[in-house]
Amino acid sequence: MIDVHGLAKQYQVGDHVVHALRGVTLSAAAGEFVTIVGPSGSGKSTFMHILGCLDRPTSGRYLLNGRDVSTLPGDELARVRNETIGFVFQGFNLLARTSALDNVELPLLYTRQGVVKSDERRNRAMAALDAVGLTDRADHHPSQLSGGQQQRVAIARALVTQPSLLLADEPTGNLDTTTSHEVMEIFARLRRDRGITMVVITHERDIAAYGTRTVDFRDGLIVSDVPNVAREMVGHR
Amino acid sequence: MRKLLRHPVVATAIKALGRNRLQTGLTVLGIAVGVATVLAMMAVGAGAQRSIEQQVRAAGLNQITIRAGNWRPKVEESDEAIAHQGDARESLRHPLERRRGDVMPIAFHPEDDPMEKHDHPTARQRLGDLEAGLGSAATMTFDDAEAIRRLPGVQYVAGGIHENVRVHLDQKRWFTRMHGTDVMMPSIKRAWMFTSGRFFTAREQDRASQVVVLGQVVADRLFGAGANPVGQDVSLWNQSFEVVGVITSATWVVRPAPGDDQFDAVYMPYTTTQRLLNLSKLNDITVTAESSGDISRLSREITRLLRVRHGIGDHESDDFTLITQAARALTTGGLPPSVARAVASNVAELEKVTLEQLALTMERASRTMTWLLAAIAAVSLLVGGIGIMNITLLSVTERTREIGLRMAVGARRRDVMRQFLFEAVVISTAGGLIGVIVGVIASIGIARALRWATVVSPLSVMLAFGVAAAVGVFFGWYPARRASRLDPIVALRRE
Repeated sequence: MIDVHGLAKQYQVGDHVVHALRGVTLSAAAGEFVTIVGPSGSGKSTFMHILGCLDRPTSGRYLLNGRDVSTLPGDELARVRNETIGFVFQGFNLLARTSALDNVELPLLYTRQGVVKSDERRNRAMAALDAVGLTDRADHHPSQLSGGQQQRVAIARALVTQPSLLLADEPTGNLDTTTSHEVMEIFARLRRDRGITMVVITHERDIAAYGTRTVDFRDGLIVSDVPNVAREMVGHR
Repeated sequence: MRKLLRHPVVATAIKALGRNRLQTGLTVLGIAVGVATVLAMMAVGAGAQRSIEQQVRAAGLNQITIRAGNWRPKVEESDEAIAHQGDARESLRHPLERRRGDVMPIAFHPEDDPMEKHDHPTARQRLGDLEAGLGSAATMTFDDAEAIRRLPGVQYVAGGIHENVRVHLDQKRWFTRMHGTDVMMPSIKRAWMFTSGRFFTAREQDRASQVVVLGQVVADRLFGAGANPVGQDVSLWNQSFEVVGVITSATWVVRPAPGDDQFDAVYMPYTTTQRLLNLSKLNDITVTAESSGDISRLSREITRLLRVRHGIGDHESDDFTLITQAARALTTGGLPPSVARAVASNVAELEKVTLEQLALTMERASRTMTWLLAAIAAVSLLVGGIGIMNITLLSVTERTREIGLRMAVGARRRDVMRQFLFEAVVISTAGGLIGVIVGVIASIGIARALRWATVVSPLSVMLAFGVAAAVGVFFGWYPARRASRLDPIVALRRE
């Protein structure tokens, strides 16, 4: 699924160069649940952006489903983001004053075939909302939803194009503990039921434990990469 | 419509514009004012141009008159005429006068009778020798008229025979001009209006019926002002004629007056004149061109045609005289006859001063006006356009995160660009639409209040609307491009 080799990323900030990534090599098979931990500035977000095709590496290679996406032109990257990748953000990033259903439909406006017809858009968005258990909130606006519900809408939006890779950057950062676990349970279930590959960034060790493996970033490098056997058991409970 | 409103780009635009309702409204207003100004100004401009054109047409500036004979006063004669202006009898000697007493009852002009009392100027006084002397040669025929009718670019052709006549109604009589003419005449004389009745018909012309159309002056003199003479009989040449209509001037520029050639006159089919007077000639042929710019070309072609038809050799002069309206304006217009004569005899080939020159002057004037309007339009639309750019930039700034999100879920740069461009165009076309409505109303208002002619053509509406849309695209371009160039990561982090 993901095959990253020697990934490096540098930024020019003022006079000095920031090395956000200094050569990251990582492979993840389809259906793996990778959690990424590490302190702020360790490069995990940059890594995530490159994985999500929002950014290109300065050097190194990124194969997504065997295809080198590190050098693709912008429109092609947009297409990869649309078809293959789903994003979940810490701040939900839902459109205000827009119903949950319309929010979920959003990626369907940018498919390769152009805008999906409104009936089909509606059906697929409802199916995605069903997957996160929010069909009864389809008409609600984000302001009428709790944080957990909002994040579930965001997950539904990530799912609506049926991606094979789901990336979440601190998805529980704005949620309380109970809700956080609910959200993580959804991720675990999606991986189990649909075989979606998950990459989740988190600060919290108990959230990281949902992964089948946890990768620890520090100063732009992976310092540890360990399988998470215990959570495997929890996941099958 | 409903489907269109649900289209995501449209729906997003509406939602986005609704977010800054006041700013959007003000911007729309700005564009609307611009477009309305443009449209109203265009309407005024077009109206002014049209009324000038109408006046020109009404005056018959697309007209060519071909008179039989080619008679020009010698310069010395003109000088003498001017010198003896005080003594009308002496200076206005007419060749026909010498023939008085000859056995030519028809050619005898009652106007020339020294015992006759005139309460209006004689033909020579009002037309000048140049005009009065023309048309007497018997060189033109109905067939000439038919040949001219077949030339390309010819609109109407009417042959005419003109005489001075006395019209009798019981004991009352009125000395006036008689025009034996063609049914086409009302189409040529656009400035005519029928007070009552109608013109004679093609059928009456074919049959050479004894019907007559009175000019307003004649009708008033014989029947009294306000009376309707239609259906009554008058007599000319001791023949009874039925009055079928009365004509008057349709414009305020020309008012019927005793002694004018149009309304102090009677009209009958030229066939009737030919039958009663036993004539086969035409005094003149009046031709109108389909387009006024065509006058010069048509003049040349008619000259060539008639020279061929009349078998005139290369070194012989024409046996007809071709007069365009410019020459006519000089000889029959506001100038005193003596001055007109002097000018006419000194300016060589006056008839070639055609509508083209006049049209050129008109065009120059309207071009100046057009530039002025363009400047006003440019300024108001520039201001509106800056408003659009402003609100679109505001929108881009406010929705930076949204742009980032859309990019993250697969929107290409061009999708983002299209979205913002569309929003700019929605504002500008909404302004355009309101502007068109306001502009049309304003044009009507101007027409009513100021009594100006205004013309709102579909083309000007489309143009105004199109310009509004173009303003949207032009001024929306930069903000839209800026939106599309955003880095999705940076955009997503923006608060």
